[in-house]
This record gives sequence, C-alpha cells and structure tokens, in this order.
Amino acid sequence: MKRTPSPKQSVARDKKAFFRSIFRVLPLLLVLSPVNPSGCAMGNRTAEIRVKYENILSHDIDELVNMSAEYRDRCCKNKKQENSKVFFCNDTQEVGSLQTMACNMLRFFHKQKLGRELRRKAALVSCGTLQVLQCRCERLRKEKVCVQVNTYHREDTETGEQSKKKCNQEFCELKENISSLRSCWNKFEKIISR
Amino acid sequence: MAVPGTFLPPVPILLLLLLCGLGPCLATADGSPGVECVFFNEEYMTCRWGSRETVAANYSLYYWYENRFPVVECKHYLQDQGINVGCHFNRSETIQFLPFRVLLNASLGSRTLEIHSNRMELQDLVKPEAPVNLTIRNVSGNQLQLTWSSPYAKARCLEHSVKYKSNKDTSWTEHRVNGDIFSLPSVDYEKFYTFYVRSKINGYCGSTQLWSEWSVPVVWGNNSTSKGAAEEQLRWFLIHTVLVPIASCLLLLVLVILLVRMERVWVILMPRIPNPIKNFDELFSTHNGNFQEWAGVPKDVVESFKPNYSENICYVSELPPKDSYEPLWEGSNHPPSVTPGSPPAPREHSPYKNSYLGV
Repeated sequence: MKRTPSPKQSVARDKKAFFRSIFRVLPLLLVLSPVNPSGCAMGNRTAEIRVKYENILSHDIDELVNMSAEYRDRCCKNKKQENSKVFFCNDTQEVGSLQTMACNMLRFFHKQKLGRELRRKAALVSCGTLQVLQCRCERLRKEKVCVQVNTYHREDTETGEQSKKKCNQEFCELKENISSLRSCWNKFEKIISR
Repeated sequence: MAVPGTFLPPVPILLLLLLCGLGPCLATADGSPGVECVFFNEEYMTCRWGSRETVAANYSLYYWYENRFPVVECKHYLQDQGINVGCHFNRSETIQFLPFRVLLNASLGSRTLEIHSNRMELQDLVKPEAPVNLTIRNVSGNQLQLTWSSPYAKARCLEHSVKYKSNKDTSWTEHRVNGDIFSLPSVDYEKFYTFYVRSKINGYCGSTQLWSEWSVPVVWGNNSTSKGAAEEQLRWFLIHTVLVPIASCLLLLVLVILLVRMERVWVILMPRIPNPIKNFDELFSTHNGNFQEWAGVPKDVVESFKPNYSENICYVSELPPKDSYEPLWEGSNHPPSVTPGSPPAPREHSPYKNSYLGV
C-alpha cells in the first residue's frame, strides 16, 4: 500500500532536489564557461593593449631587465629553490599567464633583501601589466602595492648599491619572474600583431 | 642576460681537459661561446658546436623543453669530414616562448663529457631573411621614398636598417626604421645613390641581436654623366696634386745633380782650402832649406852677420859646497881641473853655441 508523502515531506524533498540540481549544474557552468582569466576585462581591446605595451610598458620592462642585469647572479646558476614557482606562458592563455606572473611579482615589493629601486621597478611593471590588461589579482591586498608604488618617493640608494653585490635566492626568483613576464609579453604581442 | 644561443664553453678545450683527466663531467659552464643556435626565419634552426678544428670525438646532442618532456636526441646531424659538428631542427621540432635546453655528449674512447646548456628561448634566436622587392619612388620636392617587403611572416615584429650612399660620399649612412618605408629628403639629381636594407626582430616580439643579411641593392640617379664627370675630376686631381709636384721634385733633383757635377760652379760654391806649399817648393828642392839664399839676401849682408873676432870660451863652474873650503875660480883662462887639449863640457845655455861660430 502506497503511502502518500505529507506536504512537509514533499517540500523537504523538493528542496533537496533543488539543491542537488543546482550543485550539478554549477560545476557544469564552470566547466563549460569560456576560458577567460578571472579578474581580467580584456574585451576587444587588442589594439589599445598593443599601443600601450609598445609605447609605455615595453620600455619599463627593458629598464627592469637592464636594472636586474647590474646585480650579481652567480648564486642563481647552481642552486635552485625547491619552493620557487615556475610560470609558463600557456598557449591561448597568454593574458591569464601574464596576470599570474604580474600578481606573483608584486610580492617582491616587500622583500627587504632586494634593492629598493629594483623592487619598485618590478612592482611598477607588474602594476602596469595589470592596468593594461585590466586584470585584478585574486588576493586583493596585493593591488594595494600599486597605490604605494605610485606614491613612492625615491630615497637614498645606499642600501640598493650594497645589495647589488650580494646574490640571494629572492633575487634569483625575481629574475626568473622578470624573464618569464617579458617572454610572455613578447608572445602576446606577436599574436596580436597579425 | 646571456647572449642567446652562445652559452657553451669551447668544446675542444673541454675535451683537452677531459684527456688530461681534469674532470670527465662538467656542469653548466660559463665563459666563451661554444654551441651557437640560429633560428632562420622561423623555418628551421641549426645548432653548431664545431668546425674542422674540432677534436675528433663522437658528439651527440639531446634537447628538451621545460614542462614538455621527454628528452629527444637530434634527428639530423650536420657533419664535417665524418664528425658531428651541428644539429638541424625542422620547424616542427621548434617551440618558441618555452625554455629550451641542450645537452651535448662528447665521447672519446671510454670517457664521456657532458656539457649542459643554460636556458634559452627560441624567439631570441630568430634571424629573419633579408628584405626583398626594394622599390624607389620619386615623390615631390626632391624626395625619394624607398619601400620593401619581407619574407618574414609577422612584419609588425620587425625593425629595419637602411644604409645608403651617393657616388660623391665616402662612407655609408645608416638609419633605423620601424615600418617598411624610408624617405630621403633633398636628393641631388646629379648624384647616383645606392640603397641596402636589412631586418631584425624588434624588442616587442623578442630579445635578439641577430640582423638579417643585407638585401640586394637598389640604385637611383644619374649614372653615366656623373660617372664621366667623376673620371674627369679624378684625372684633374691626379694631375694637379700628384703629377705636378712629382715632376717639380724631379726637375729640382736634376738641377741639383748638374750643379754638383759641374766643377766650375762647385768651386765657387765650395772654394778650396788654400795650400801654400807650392810657394815654398823651390826653397826645399833648389836651395836645400837655405832661407837666405832662397830669399835672395846679398852675400855681403850675410857676411856682415858673421863675427870677425875670435874669443876664447870662458868656462865658469861652481863647485858644490863641502866641509873643506875650496876657492872658486872666476874669469880665469886656466881652469884647475881641466886637462889641456880636452874639449870643454857642454853647457846648456851657452850663448856661443850656434852656427855663426862654425863649431
């Protein structure tokens, strides 16, 4: 003999079914959604991005590369950090890779072992990358660095000059980041310059 | 940043070290370049590590891309007299914007040397092909416009360099250009211009110093008349600045030589030192040194100088003082100790010892 469910039971059952259906659909939505870096509003701005990169950002990147070349890097060739992150410029995900690299490079701004000007320049390039691509970092507090960088005043470079002679693993990591960021921008520029 | 593609030490030196037993295995080494990789127009790549001077050993090259294993051996080696000196990569074997590493194995007998490379990226090793289809157009206002095209697919990733020279210039002028057009204002229609162009990947798409080869040249201007005028100028230049001075110098030299050779003139310029011996030649040859005879002094004058009296010589001597007193003789004609008939002892300053007395 079949028992008919009470109104309360039927409502509870509907609710469960509702949540089950939501939780099934939601992952599908996440999987099926177009691959777009979270926090980047690129839109159809490739021409604008190219102009900003060529006229402004590429020169800052060159300056940053030249600045890092003044530092000793002997300790970088033999020893490799196990915890160091390696970022690749993935195919069809150049913007996301640039976002990841830029956000990661922001954390070096507070590393006291690095030269002050180098840290500032690296943060400037990171912030410039995020601004050109209109991206945001997952950790919002990282972008506060960009406000600090813009209001930063140049102080004495004595600390910077001393740190140029000392090689440390943080510098090696930063140098890898700079190289990867530059390479990824080259790749992105090549794609949008067709 | 290290020079891309030129990061390995000289392989022959490392092999010599191996032979000397200074280390069979070397990690990543810095120093002078060894293996050079060039990505030609993004169509194929060659990595070379040796030449004819390379030590004869078995070389094998392995490569891989970070995050994309496995390690692959070179499929197409370049050889020189049976020795592997390089590796050829097809386009399908190349991936840009991804860290690329190379391992070179050199084995000699039972010993093997491993040479690891630094990280490099292939977009920094691209050497584009030379530009083609150079075209010159004459625009208004004595202005020339040079355009070209490039076999490289992504022209926007290129920067170019134009060098040009006229037939009146001594050196080339070089200009960097971002696009594929170059303007030369205020040209001279009497001159003859030659243009070359070459390309390189710009800083936006890569980081390389590899320029392409220079293109086939393109020329513009008046070739024939300017050529003749140039020859005419060259001829006048040779005459005025070379031949005339040389001829003048030769003429001067001839005159000097003639001057030196003609003794009459030479004597006036360089008079001889007078030699009086000829005047006195007769004195010694004829008169035998007799000056009075040669001078023609009269005989009576000569005789008058001869003394006509004789005078005995008075010998005066002073004996040294002794213990016993001995009287001195003065002005006496009879010296006490002189033997009669013996000649007197000679005195140094005797006034009577001369030729006039005939003694």
